[in-house]
Amino acid sequence: MKRILDWVDERLGAGPIWKALFARHVPEASGPAAWFYTLGSASLFVFTIQVVTGILLAMNYVPSADHAHDSVQFIETQVVLGRFIRGLHHWGATFMVVLVLLHMLRVFFMGAYKYPREVTWLVGVGIFLLVMGFSFTGYLLPWDQKAYWATAVGTNIARQVPAAGEAIGLVLKGSEELGMATLARFYAMHVLLLPALTAGLLAAHLFLVVWHGISEPPSRSGGPPP
Amino acid sequence: MRTPIVDPERRPGLSRRAFLTGAIAAVGGLIGAVLGGGGLGYVLSPLFRRHGEEWVDIGRADEVSPGAPIKVDFTVRKRDAWTTVERRASAWVLTADGKQFIVYDPRCTHLGCPYRWDRDLGRFLCPCHTAVFGVDGRVVMGPAPRPLDRFPVKIVGGRIMIRPEPVKSERS
Ligand code: HEM
Ligand code: FES
Repeated sequence: MKRILDWVDERLGAGPIWKALFARHVPEASGPAAWFYTLGSASLFVFTIQVVTGILLAMNYVPSADHAHDSVQFIETQVVLGRFIRGLHHWGATFMVVLVLLHMLRVFFMGAYKYPREVTWLVGVGIFLLVMGFSFTGYLLPWDQKAYWATAVGTNIARQVPAAGEAIGLVLKGSEELGMATLARFYAMHVLLLPALTAGLLAAHLFLVVWHGISEPPSRSGGPPP
Repeated sequence: MRTPIVDPERRPGLSRRAFLTGAIAAVGGLIGAVLGGGGLGYVLSPLFRRHGEEWVDIGRADEVSPGAPIKVDFTVRKRDAWTTVERRASAWVLTADGKQFIVYDPRCTHLGCPYRWDRDLGRFLCPCHTAVFGVDGRVVMGPAPRPLDRFPVKIVGGRIMIRPEPVKSERS
């Protein structure tokens, strides 16, 4: 094993990259504060789970008004481990929002968004909005009563925007009535558009995190922590 | 606040770093196994599904008079994942004694044309390339390579039930 790794490393010279990514210095925090630093990685982990389980679900899901619900029932009752995989995606979606919010709060309360990490923060805000997008578009896909009416409410809220409201509602729903067209475009956003955008922003986010290094926990004295 | 850095010389045995590396590998491996194993089962799911057609009721047994094959039409409902597809199909049903029934696939074993029953000749005739089959399904004449294929059949409560998957007959 070691020999194989050495062989690869001799050709790729990936050692420094590995070092920069995984053997880099991180703040020496301890106690609860140290745990707060794990929230970003935890978000990344759950995001990976969402990608994997999402791909699996897409193998049996059909985004059409007359099949969506039945195909979800099919996953639940006929597909081996279908309930488990769907359950992971369902709870992962919920947990993702919680983790990303907590991560954001830790960055905020530790002042980690300050100079020179403002861009990391701004990219993070973009990622947060994308996560909201995932939640909103994903919620419609089971095409049951809850999904339908939640999206009806959601799109109606968007329609309250002065002047442009009607247009926004139309573009969101794809037609006057919430139906086939809505489901198709929500699905496209959920599995194509948003993942692509998120992958881009995540790459930028993680690059910046490594580039700047992770900030020390704030201290009262202003100097380096005791 | 800061915990003292562990002196590498201080304690023999498992270092903190080695312990954490091992723990991460173990937990990561476990998660990978659950996710990978689960995903594999999910993807391979079709392998575990029940295959085969259900029995189809194609009509009353006492409507077939002995010695006179009749063509019956019926509907096959087949599950296709979460949908049910309906397909019209037909079959030739005959009986010699009203007890034992034979049900033939209505497609000629040559190239699949629908053949017909000729009452005067007492034979099945195919219009496409003039294959001729006997009542017993055997090839009497023509290019057909094997006797007529049959559907598995059973009589339940006076109804004729078949499984709409023809059993290929042996070459003769
Ligand atoms: C899918 C969502 C996200 C992922 C996977 C993610 C991932 C990460 C990771 C792994 C780190 C390393 C440090 C740590 O974990 O605390 C980090 C740092 C950071 N994140 Fe995120 N993040 C996400 C969302 C956000 C959001 C919504 C914001 C704020 C709007 C944000 C702002 C930041 C900032 C400013 C840092 C630098 C913190 C420091 O250097 O101490 N991130 N992120
Ligand atoms: S198809 Fe029946 S004889 Fe050719």
